[in-house]
Amino acid sequence: MSVDTARAITVSELSTQPDARVTERRRRPSFTPYFLIIPSVAILVIAMGYPLVWQIVTSTQHFGLAQQFGQPAPFVWFDNYIKLAADPYMWTVILRSLAFCFVTAAVTMALGTLVALLMNVVNRVIRIVIQISLLLAWAMPVVAAMTVWNWLFDWRRGVVNWILTSIGLPFQDHNWLQDPISFFFVAMIIVVWMSVPFVAFSVYAGLTQVSGEVLEAAQMDGATASQRFFAIIVPIIRPVLGIVLLLQVIWDLRVFTQIKLLQDAGSIASETNLLGTYIYQLGTGSSDFGMASAVSIFVLVLTVAISAFYVRNMLKEDES
Amino acid sequence: MKRKLATVTAVALASALALAACSSGSGTTTGTGASTDGKGKTITLWLAGADTPDVLRTYLKDEFKKETGGTLNIQQQDWGDLVTKLTTSLPDANNTPDVTEMGNTQSPTFTNVGAFLDISDMYKQLGGTNLLQSFVDAGKVGDKNYTLPYYFGSRYMFIRKDIWATAGVAVPTTLDEFNSAVATIGAKNPAGVANFSGFYLGGQDWRDGISWIFANGGDIATVKNGKWTASLDSANSLKGLEQLQAIYKTASKAPNDAKDSNQYIYLNDDDAIPGATTADAATPVSLAAATIMAPGWAHWSIGTKGEKDGKVTRTWDDKTFGVFALPGVDGKPAPVFAGGSNIGISAKSKNPGLAKTLLTIIFSKTYQEMLGKNGLGPANSQYVSSLGSDEFAKALIASASNSKLTPAAPGWASVEASNVLEEFFSKIKDAPDLAALAKEYDAKITPMLNAK
Repeated sequence: MSVDTARAITVSELSTQPDARVTERRRRPSFTPYFLIIPSVAILVIAMGYPLVWQIVTSTQHFGLAQQFGQPAPFVWFDNYIKLAADPYMWTVILRSLAFCFVTAAVTMALGTLVALLMNVVNRVIRIVIQISLLLAWAMPVVAAMTVWNWLFDWRRGVVNWILTSIGLPFQDHNWLQDPISFFFVAMIIVVWMSVPFVAFSVYAGLTQVSGEVLEAAQMDGATASQRFFAIIVPIIRPVLGIVLLLQVIWDLRVFTQIKLLQDAGSIASETNLLGTYIYQLGTGSSDFGMASAVSIFVLVLTVAISAFYVRNMLKEDES
Repeated sequence: MKRKLATVTAVALASALALAACSSGSGTTTGTGASTDGKGKTITLWLAGADTPDVLRTYLKDEFKKETGGTLNIQQQDWGDLVTKLTTSLPDANNTPDVTEMGNTQSPTFTNVGAFLDISDMYKQLGGTNLLQSFVDAGKVGDKNYTLPYYFGSRYMFIRKDIWATAGVAVPTTLDEFNSAVATIGAKNPAGVANFSGFYLGGQDWRDGISWIFANGGDIATVKNGKWTASLDSANSLKGLEQLQAIYKTASKAPNDAKDSNQYIYLNDDDAIPGATTADAATPVSLAAATIMAPGWAHWSIGTKGEKDGKVTRTWDDKTFGVFALPGVDGKPAPVFAGGSNIGISAKSKNPGLAKTLLTIIFSKTYQEMLGKNGLGPANSQYVSSLGSDEFAKALIASASNSKLTPAAPGWASVEASNVLEEFFSKIKDAPDLAALAKEYDAKITPMLNAK
């Protein structure tokens, strides 16, 4: 939008080039936007730039509790990064986080799309019921939801164990959080439960863009339901799917609250740390702010690397 | 439209920033002299958890008002994120509490980086050598006092007398007797409850489990020429670890990720689940252990179930429940992990004079005895008798008599925050080679202890 306006002005300026007076009159107001934008830019720089710069600087320092209390922080340059790269635990956490984020994002996308398709075919009343329940899950404060989830999966009195036991499975006093695999399974259920509504609503909005005539025509040509979905619906809503998937991947990579609260409920922290909780443990836990910043920068790079592909694709689609 | 919105937002944000800048500038004019005239001034006291009862808080506020004319603002912090909050607030003159409570084991970390005001000049006045010396040491750097004891607590054993009696075991007088008694109860399972623990000890519960290492003469770490070395693999520590492994294998059915929280729910019958016993009266839901180890205040949560104003209450019943201090190898009370708090004045406090006045109120006879009456061990040994003489007071005094602090190493808080001890304890049960496990974790802990 703003690009178009700028282009229009340039064109009109070119066309009126000979008349200097007119050009000047037109140019003068064009300073006002820049002037008005200064506060916003300043706030962006202060609010987003300052922490980033601080983090980059800190990641090259030895910054512990003594530095927090005013001792000068000695620069160690890339020592923190070298230590991290040489630490096998760091790589375990990274691989764990990547695996968790991709699996969780994929499951979320699949379920969210299915719910969106369901909303598309059911009648209005049922759709509103679905939408309200989705919104409730979406609007639930994470800490409140986590308290409930922790109770559901409680090893001794959780409803989940009770149900499984009462249908005859050996789940009495089964501790879900003790084994890392089942810990992440529970974590995934919770994260998926919280993110499906967003995916479902976005994809549902995308589905309204698919015109009924196209689908009807395809159906008359004999396309099956799955052919219609993969060959017609998916290509049309691909931009929506792309951006939603990207957001899911980024969010799931940085997941923190759910993991932290589950860890508080049980599990051995070192076996269930993801990047978010690892940074927390290094920084606020062990007061090693230098190392924590280095890991954060690494996560930033990782996020950019993962999303670069999508962003480039999206930009290309925007241009075409 | 879009541009207008952006401008409005920008102006709003800019003015917010400007206002914030003003407010942070205005507070710096208050004096730093040791004045005790507090008219119109407010100082902030951080208390950790709900351990200090309301009566005591009200007393502090009233007394402070009376003495200085100022206002005392008491803020309660959670134990869980106290270190985090102290780390971010203490260095900041505008947000620091003037006086703060902290766990005694958290004190060295902060005193070593100069977070607290030197109060050596008040040491004699506040109690001097009558103060609990191990806590005083935890607040010392060199020969200067920075933090002083606030109260002490201790951990002792709570048992189900009825189950112990059915299992036919007597109250133990030595550590070995205790170990075999809980193993017997676990094997006999007299209550007939699935996964019943003779002694419920969570896999990550190092604060209780460490008693076995201490009792056998072991230690978490030792110091030599100012350098700390973790000593979980010493011969004496290993003796304790072997006993712990046996307890984990035979006596305790607690999950290996359980921590030291709310163990009392496993000692009570029917813990607040409506209808649980009417459906199946034979197996009360919550009862799952014959013995737990917990700080003294847990006794408020143990007892026969009742109801008052819609809330579940617990009434202690001497026939069903009992307490004793964990016996040591020689029959004397075993050294357990000393609970309790230190208290200090932030080095960045803007009202150190008023903060010092608050300390004199806290260390006064009246307040120390109020602590004792509420079951918190007074910092000043002259007033310990105020704890009373009931069985809880006896168990508290007995178990505290030989209690031990965690290492006063500069990096101790990091060790706690990194959960490394939780992890170590969770691996004891299934470790094929305890010495190798202990060595592995010593190597992790030693650098943390010495980190600054």
